[in-house]
Amino acid sequence: MMNKINDRSRNLGDYSVGADDAMIICRCEEITKGDIRQAVHAGMFTLTEIRRYLRTGMGLCQGQTCGRLIKGIVARELGVSPLDLEPAVSRAPMRPIEMKVLGNER
Amino acid sequence: MKRYDVIVVGAGPAGLSAAIEAAKRGLRVIVFDENARPGGQLFKQIHKFFGSKEHKAKIRGFKIGEDLLKEAQTAGVEVVLNAVVLGLYLDKEVVVSHGDEVTHYKGDAIIVATGASENMITFDGWTLPGVIGAGAAQTMMNLHSIRPGKKVLMLGTGNVGLVVSYQLLQAGCEVVALVDAAAKIGGYGVHAAKLARCGVPFYLSHTIIKAHGQDCVTGVTIGEVDSKWQVIPGSEKDFEVDTICLAVGLSPMSQLLKMAGCEMEENPAKGGYVPIGNSYGETSIPGIFVAGDVSGIEEASSAMIEGRIAGVAAAARLGFIDKAELTEKTWELEQALLALRAGMFSPENKGREVIHTEEGYDVSQSLLTRGYLTNDEVLTYPGVTAAQGIHAVIECSQNIPCNPCQDACPKKCITIGEKITSLPVVNSDAQCSGCGLCVAACSGQSIFLVKEDEEVGTAMVTIPYEFYPLPEKGCQGMALDRSGKEICAAEIIEIKNVPAFDKTSLLTMKVPFNMAMKARFFKQVQEV
Amino acid sequence: MKNNADIIIIGSGVIGNAAAYYLAKKGCSVIVLEKSESIGNGGSSRNGGGVRQSGRDKRELPLAMYGIKNIWPTLSEELDMDVEYYQQGNLRLGKTEAHRNILSGLTKNAADGGLNVRMIDGEEARAICPYLSEEVTGASWCPTDGHANPMLTTLAYYRKARQLGVRFITGEGVQEIRKIRGKARQVVTQNAVYEGETIILAAGYESREIASQLGIDIPMTQALLEVLVTEALPPMFYQMLGTAAADFYGHQSTHGSFVFGGSSGFEGVNRDNGTPTTASITASCICRGIMKYFPMLEEAKIVRSWAGWMDVCADMVPVISPVEEVPGLIIAAAFSGHGFGIAPTVGLLLSEMATAKTTTLDLSAFRYDRFKAKI
Repeated sequence: MMNKINDRSRNLGDYSVGADDAMIICRCEEITKGDIRQAVHAGMFTLTEIRRYLRTGMGLCQGQTCGRLIKGIVARELGVSPLDLEPAVSRAPMRPIEMKVLGNER
Repeated sequence: MKRYDVIVVGAGPAGLSAAIEAAKRGLRVIVFDENARPGGQLFKQIHKFFGSKEHKAKIRGFKIGEDLLKEAQTAGVEVVLNAVVLGLYLDKEVVVSHGDEVTHYKGDAIIVATGASENMITFDGWTLPGVIGAGAAQTMMNLHSIRPGKKVLMLGTGNVGLVVSYQLLQAGCEVVALVDAAAKIGGYGVHAAKLARCGVPFYLSHTIIKAHGQDCVTGVTIGEVDSKWQVIPGSEKDFEVDTICLAVGLSPMSQLLKMAGCEMEENPAKGGYVPIGNSYGETSIPGIFVAGDVSGIEEASSAMIEGRIAGVAAAARLGFIDKAELTEKTWELEQALLALRAGMFSPENKGREVIHTEEGYDVSQSLLTRGYLTNDEVLTYPGVTAAQGIHAVIECSQNIPCNPCQDACPKKCITIGEKITSLPVVNSDAQCSGCGLCVAACSGQSIFLVKEDEEVGTAMVTIPYEFYPLPEKGCQGMALDRSGKEICAAEIIEIKNVPAFDKTSLLTMKVPFNMAMKARFFKQVQEV
Repeated sequence: MKNNADIIIIGSGVIGNAAAYYLAKKGCSVIVLEKSESIGNGGSSRNGGGVRQSGRDKRELPLAMYGIKNIWPTLSEELDMDVEYYQQGNLRLGKTEAHRNILSGLTKNAADGGLNVRMIDGEEARAICPYLSEEVTGASWCPTDGHANPMLTTLAYYRKARQLGVRFITGEGVQEIRKIRGKARQVVTQNAVYEGETIILAAGYESREIASQLGIDIPMTQALLEVLVTEALPPMFYQMLGTAAADFYGHQSTHGSFVFGGSSGFEGVNRDNGTPTTASITASCICRGIMKYFPMLEEAKIVRSWAGWMDVCADMVPVISPVEEVPGLIIAAAFSGHGFGIAPTVGLLLSEMATAKTTTLDLSAFRYDRFKAKI
C-alpha cells in the first residue's frame, strides 16, 4: 500500500503565512516555523529531506530539542499523523567531540 | 580493544541496577556515564519515593542513589564518569570518549540505559533565557544549589511539574501558578494537594500564549483553551515572573539503539521512539538490552526493576546462570513491576478518565481541577474517621502504588492489604499512640494527626512540614486550609523531628475546634 | 492519477533529478520512481560535494569542463535556490616526494586534456590557503575547480522539476522493467505499473539488478564512503581540498561547517547491517588525516558522521548510454564516487539522449557494452 506522503504531487493547498511563522524552532541552526512550513510546500515531505534542505537538527544538539517539534509541524502541514513520519536516522558521534580527541584512539 | 562481559551505558537507576545484578552473577561489568556524577536523575530527587517497602518506598531519591552506588561498588562494578559513548557500532562495539582520548570497547552484552530528555513546547518567546525545563530547574536547585529564579510559572501538572513546583517552593521561590492545557491535573492528587495547601493556584485548560521580555523573561501571558485547544479571547491572564518551567513530558534518548540498527517503533504510550524489546528488555539485536526511560517513559522505581531484569537476563544470555534462575528471579521482579504499573495511573489508564476508585469511592473532581479535596469530600474516604482522641486522618483518595503507611504504624491502625494500590483504611478500633510515624512515612504528605477537644473548643492538628527555617515552639501564625486560604490563627505547640522521620518535621498546631478537619498547613506570620 | 509519461526515470538521485528537470524543461512528461522514502537518499546526499575537473579520468574530463563552464555558474539562479557553489579552486596536497610524483602524473594528464592545472610548491599552496601546515611540500592547483552542496543541489533539481510538473513517487521500489513488443516500456513496482516511451535507469548500484533482468550487466560493485562534518566555524577558506595520499577530501561550507570525506582503508571489505553503516575506526582516521594538513582544526568539534554507498564501476568511469539491444532503455549508473560534479552535465545529456538522436558531447566512452575480457 502506498504511503500518504509518497506521491510528491499531492496537493497541499496554497501556503498561507502563519502568525507564528517567525518563531524559531531549531535553536542551534536558527530555523523558523515558517522555514519548515515552506520547505514542506517546496516538496520536502520527510524529516530526512527537511534536515538536508534546512539543516534542522543538524547543529550542536543534533535535534535533541527540536526533533519532536519539527515532526509535529511537518505532519500538520502534510495533514498526516506524526506517527506516519519516520524519524530521521541517528549518527555518531552522540555528542560533539573535538577532532583531536576523536583522532586520539586507544 | 577492551572487552567486558557487559557494557552498560548510563549510570542512572536503571543502568546501575542492571550492572549490579549482572556483576553479582560473576560478569565483568563496566558502566559509562557522560555526567560528572553517577545516579542519573536520582541525586536531584529530594522527595520520598512511592512504592512498596521492598522497593525503596518512603526513601528519598538521593539516598536510593547512594545505596545503589554502594551496592554497585560491593558487586565489583566499574563505573566510569565523564565518559561519553559516541556510538554503538556493529558487533556490540562502543566507542567512548574520556578525557582527551577515545577508546574502543566490546561487550558480549550491551545494556543501554540512557534515560530521557525533556520535551519542549513552543510559544511566543520560548527561546528567551528564563524558559527552562523543569528537570533543568531541579538540577540547578538540588545538585548545584542555585535558585533558578524568584518567581516561577510551571507549565505541566504531571508528577514532574508537581514535584518540581514543590521543590521550587522549598528552595524559596514563589510559584505563581501551575498551568496545564489538559482539563485535569495529570500527576498524583497528593502531590497537587501539597501545592494547593501552600496557596499555589492551578490553571487547567490553560496554555502559555507569550513569554514577555527583551533579553530574559519578565512575564508571561496565559489563556484558557477551548475543546479544540484554541485560546478563548478575553481569557488572558498576565503574571510577572522571571522563570517559566516546562514540564511537558520526556522523550526516550534512544539514538544509540537506532544507530545500532535495533528495530524501533514510535509508541505514544511509551513517550516516543523506542526499541522493540521483549519482557527482559532485549532488543531485536540479541545481546543488546534496554532498561529505564529509554525503553519507555516511566519513573525511577520501575527503571530500577527493569534494570535488574535486564542485568539478570544478560547473565542468562551469556551463560552465567541457567534458565531456572532467570525465570525465578525475573518472575519476582516482574511482579513488583506489575504492582508499580497498577492503579489509576497505570499505562492502560493513560488518557482515560477514572471516576471511581477500585473500592468504588468517587474520585474528587475538585482534586483533579483545583488540587485539593473539599471539606465534604475528604470525609468520604476510608482513611478519614471521626475517632475520639488523637488519630490519623489519611487524605489519600486515589489508587496509587504505595503502602509504607501500613507498616509505619506500630499499633496497626492502618490497613492497605495485599493490593498495593488500595486506599489506606484507618481502623477506628485500634488505638493511635500519636507517634507520627505514619505522617512522616507518607511520601504524599497526606497523613495528619488530629485531636479534638470539644470542651475546651480547640483542636491539635499535626502536619508534615518540609520547609526551612522551621517555626519555633510557641510561634504564632495562620492556619491554611487545603486550598491555601488563611482560615484562622494557629499556634505551634510542638515540633518533632527524629531520625526515623527522615527530615520530615511534624508540626503540631493548635486551632479552634471547628477547624480540626480544615486546617492543613501553617504559615508563619512575618514579624515587621 | 495517470501512470503514463513520456519518460520514466528510476532513481531520484542527483542524476535522475537533473535529467527530470531538463526533460521537463523540454516539455516532456516525466515520472520519477524512488525506492527510498526520501528523495536523493543515496550517494547524492552523502558525498563530499566536489565540483572538480582535476584528478578525473580523461574520459570524464569533457563532461566536467562543460558543466563548470556552462551550467554550475548559473545553476542557483536557474533552479531558484542557492546550491552553495564555490569556484575557488582545488588544491590536491602532497607531503612527500612520492606524493608529488602522483600529483605530477595526474596534473600532466589533465593538462594534456586541455585543463588549466599546474604543480605548485608548499609556499604557493600556503599563499592560496594560509591555514595549511608546513608539512605540505607541494600541490596540484586547478583554479577553476570548486564545490557545491550536494544535498541542496539534489533537492534543488527535485524542487524545480516538481514545480514543472514532474511526478515523483517515493517508497516505490522497482521490481522489473518489462518489454512490450520488443521495447522497454513498463516499469513494475509493488504498487503499480508505469509506462513510458523511454526509461532512464539511474538507480546507482541497484541499477545492476534491474538491468540484469533484461540481459544487461554493468560490472560494478558497491563500496562505502564516509563523511563527517564539524560545527560551524568562522569563514576560513573555500578551496576544494584533496590529497595525494587520499587521507581526506572536503571543504568549508556556506554554513561554516567543514565537510570532510575519507577512509580507513577497509571500505572495500567492510561489513554492514543492510544500511550504509559507519565503521568504528573511520571517523578517527579521517580526523588524524585532516589534522596533519590543518593542525589549527584540532579543536573543531565533529557533530556528525555518515556513510553512503558508491556504485563503483570496473573501470572507474560511469555508464551513460542508450541500450540499443533493449530499445527505449537508457542507463546512467556506476558513477564510481565522482558523479556529483558532472551530474548537471549528465542530466542535460540524458535529456538529449531521450529526446533526440544526438548529444552535445560525445558519450561513446561511457557505453554499456565497452567491457571486455582482458585477453
